[in-house]
Amino acid sequence: MTRYLSFAVIKFRSKMAYRFDYVLGILDTLLAFVVYWSIYKALYAGAGEVDGVTFSMVTTSFLISLGLSAAFHKNEMFLQDKIKQGTIANELLKQVNFKLRMLFEDMGEGAFHVVFNFLPTAVIASFFAELKAPSGAVNVLLCLVSVILGYIVLWEISFIVQSWSFTLFSVWGLITIKNVLVNILAGAYIPMWFMPDWLRNVIRWTPFDAIYFTPVQLYLGELAGIEIAFHFARQICWIIVLGAVGEYFWRSGLKKLVVQGG
Amino acid sequence: MRDILSLFFAYAKSGLKSRFQYKLDAIVTTFAVFLREAGGIIAMYLALLKFDTINDWNIDELLFLFSLIFITYGIFIVFFMALRDFSDWIKHGDFDRVMLRPRGLLTQLVLCGADWLAALGHGTLGIVLFVISASRVGIQWNPAMAVYYIIAVISGVLIQGAIFLFFSSISFYVVETGSLKEIFYWNMRKFAIYPLSIYNRVIQSVLIFVVPFAFVNYFPAQFFLRKADMAAYPEWLMYISPVVGVMLYLLAYSFWRFSLRFYKSTGN
Repeated sequence: MTRYLSFAVIKFRSKMAYRFDYVLGILDTLLAFVVYWSIYKALYAGAGEVDGVTFSMVTTSFLISLGLSAAFHKNEMFLQDKIKQGTIANELLKQVNFKLRMLFEDMGEGAFHVVFNFLPTAVIASFFAELKAPSGAVNVLLCLVSVILGYIVLWEISFIVQSWSFTLFSVWGLITIKNVLVNILAGAYIPMWFMPDWLRNVIRWTPFDAIYFTPVQLYLGELAGIEIAFHFARQICWIIVLGAVGEYFWRSGLKKLVVQGG
Repeated sequence: MRDILSLFFAYAKSGLKSRFQYKLDAIVTTFAVFLREAGGIIAMYLALLKFDTINDWNIDELLFLFSLIFITYGIFIVFFMALRDFSDWIKHGDFDRVMLRPRGLLTQLVLCGADWLAALGHGTLGIVLFVISASRVGIQWNPAMAVYYIIAVISGVLIQGAIFLFFSSISFYVVETGSLKEIFYWNMRKFAIYPLSIYNRVIQSVLIFVVPFAFVNYFPAQFFLRKADMAAYPEWLMYISPVVGVMLYLLAYSFWRFSLRFYKSTGN
């Protein structure tokens, strides 16, 4: 385990080498927040609440989604590049599990973006935006656990699409399409509360519901008792299902893999 | 002129051919660009099902506003891709090659590179949005309106071209300008998509005076739509919109001519 952790640490450190990227990253994240904040401020137009949802709930949910997006900021062309360059052959010879190593490297990179892009943004945002404090220490803890589970769901979806690079010429297009779906259906672009009912009912049956929105609901204290257990169970179910699907594509991809030259 | 046109078509032909070598991949990539750009619009559409209007703009009016930014980018990227990636040209020494050829430097740069897949993705989205909205926002289309629209689009292309021509000129002094572009173009563009009036005063001023995206879509759209939030700005701003592009481009062009003499090759 420590071996994999050190993959994460190395990635984190290597990211730290580009100092100017900090500033850019903060600016990027802050700007995304300001755009949403401005849009929803104009949409609310001073209204206290819409459908029982207050403006501060909306801004808070955006900020949490931004945090998760920052955690998920990673190179999704990783597997394709390794396959295209043929260096995957060397990776497979090493005494480490390739998928686990990939997961931990991505988490190291995500941790960097959370610490250096998201946290400064959250601090700056708290000066001008209406944010809601968490509804209790337990809620923060539950929220963090569900963030990690949501992260794994998101990572596994990405891995499935990446694993298609064994057969496809390029997965860039599919990854981009996947990200649009995630951003809209998981509620990063529009808060889940404002989705039309029919769409909301469809999303309930997809893994997208288990990514951004469960942490938001836990943070705001919208779930209680058995509901919390249900949401966690659902996240874990998706982790198992998507993990199995990813493993299937990974294995069948490896069988087909031909590396030319050396 | 004929010479320039034939050059453009020769470049376009080879560019399209190389991008469509893998047909399925090119189609998927184009669609992905289309969908990526449409993502924010879809979210806006869903939000307006609940809220109806944003600063009194309804969804059709918003689509009309959005269409301008995507159509202009789609055209911009056909002519100015080389300037978008100009620091790479300098870094790799490709600019030396351009200097040795018997045509104007900028002429070659403008004609040679086009990001066809991005152009198709953005352009198609812009046209789709325009077709959906143009007849539903109560514009009395007549020849004068059509002429204004075409000039506004050309001006929008030139504004964005001028911004990149300006960055390219800076590449002669400092090679790496990626961060500048990130801050002053890509980030500002994120703001510019939505109605100017939803932002606070500082952001509005930046979008009018510093990186004048407001003249690419907001003011031209106001010329057609005359929404109430225009009251916050001097009315003449929507009439000078078509001129801003030319002025800015000429300004950027003289800066380019001035900076060119500082060019030092990076070697091979």
